[in-house]
Amino acid sequence: MDRDDDLVHLLVAYQAGELAAFERLYATLAGELHRYFLAQDATGAAAQDLVQDTFLEIHRSRHTYLPPLPVRPWVFGIARHVLGRHRRTAWRRTRHEDRAEAAAAAAAPAAPAIETRDLADALARLPASRREAWVLHHVHGLSFQQIAERFRIGVGAAKLRSSRAMRALRAALGVDPGMDPERRETRDG
Amino acid sequence: MADRPMIPPGLLSAVESDLKPVRPLASPARRALALLPLGLALLIAIPAFWGWRSNFSALGPAVAWGLSGLQALAGLLIVGAALREAIPGRELSRPALAATVGAALALFAGLTFVTERVAPAVVPPGVWVRFAWECFWMAAASSVPILAAAAWLAARALPTRPAVAGAVYGLGAGLIADAGVRLFCWVSAPAHVLVAHGGAILFLAAAGAGAATVVERVKGRRG
Repeated sequence: MDRDDDLVHLLVAYQAGELAAFERLYATLAGELHRYFLAQDATGAAAQDLVQDTFLEIHRSRHTYLPPLPVRPWVFGIARHVLGRHRRTAWRRTRHEDRAEAAAAAAAPAAPAIETRDLADALARLPASRREAWVLHHVHGLSFQQIAERFRIGVGAAKLRSSRAMRALRAALGVDPGMDPERRETRDG
Repeated sequence: MADRPMIPPGLLSAVESDLKPVRPLASPARRALALLPLGLALLIAIPAFWGWRSNFSALGPAVAWGLSGLQALAGLLIVGAALREAIPGRELSRPALAATVGAALALFAGLTFVTERVAPAVVPPGVWVRFAWECFWMAAASSVPILAAAAWLAARALPTRPAVAGAVYGLGAGLIADAGVRLFCWVSAPAHVLVAHGGAILFLAAAGAGAATVVERVKGRRG
């Protein structure tokens, strides 16, 4: 089933709307197309995606096949077109990502410095008991039980100190208090 | 049958959902032939609208109508080559492309020198730039219908090298439009014809390349 005459008949049947003809075309040509894309430096998964894209483009452009011309030059012409489009898209995406990274790198030193300073200022304004509870829980990872034992207070009080510290910090940094995970933690215990 | 590759379900459903019978495009030659009435209309309408060249009778019907008809025919053949270029797998080879462009430019230059030999006429002093500008824009503007029609026919196919296909149909459309302008412009000095009329033809080739590229990008984004 790979003589050009057979492929011509299949493609004519496919143009007439026969799904079975498409399935046989796929069975005959998918392997060849996969090898073609691998030879063009596509990786395995990318080559498989390109094969699918090619058959999708074949489907959209099936009216451009002119019987009884040979089928393979038409199919591989579409494959080259799909590959070119894929490469242009990849090139544009890479360029866009490079620009975004460059912009982020240029902006990086300034933005976190301001946030860090704001956070440090907000922490400094907290009462010491609340600040320590918050730092021990969120920075050092201690449980509220451990914090309670360290300060010889109840677990509920430890949660309350940390929760109030979190609320004050969010308010100072302009963060929506509705998104406060501390409150959920406190409610959940 | 067992070792046949399986069609991915997404692809199969996309094909199944849109599997209506389609009619194959007509051959590039037949589709180019469909532009013949438009080409003939331009050939007559341009001088009929702007006025016939004052030395029309000095040229005689063979040089006036004959050579313009030859140029328009060549333009139509070149549009046909562009429509062939727009079919996947039927792209023009580099030698064929070079031969097509070379033959078009050689024909245009040849007709220019023949016309100048039969009825020499130079641009009056002081209006060289104005005459060149007028002829340039007249040829460019007159070609819009044939250029648009050729672009539409090419876009119905799948030009894998849209810039090439567009440049070639732009060249053809330019030759067809200039065949009509040639019956209006009485100047036969090669400097004027090659710069103003030839410049318009090259401009149209560039415009066709740009238009085809844009059309294919839009088609690609729409999927």
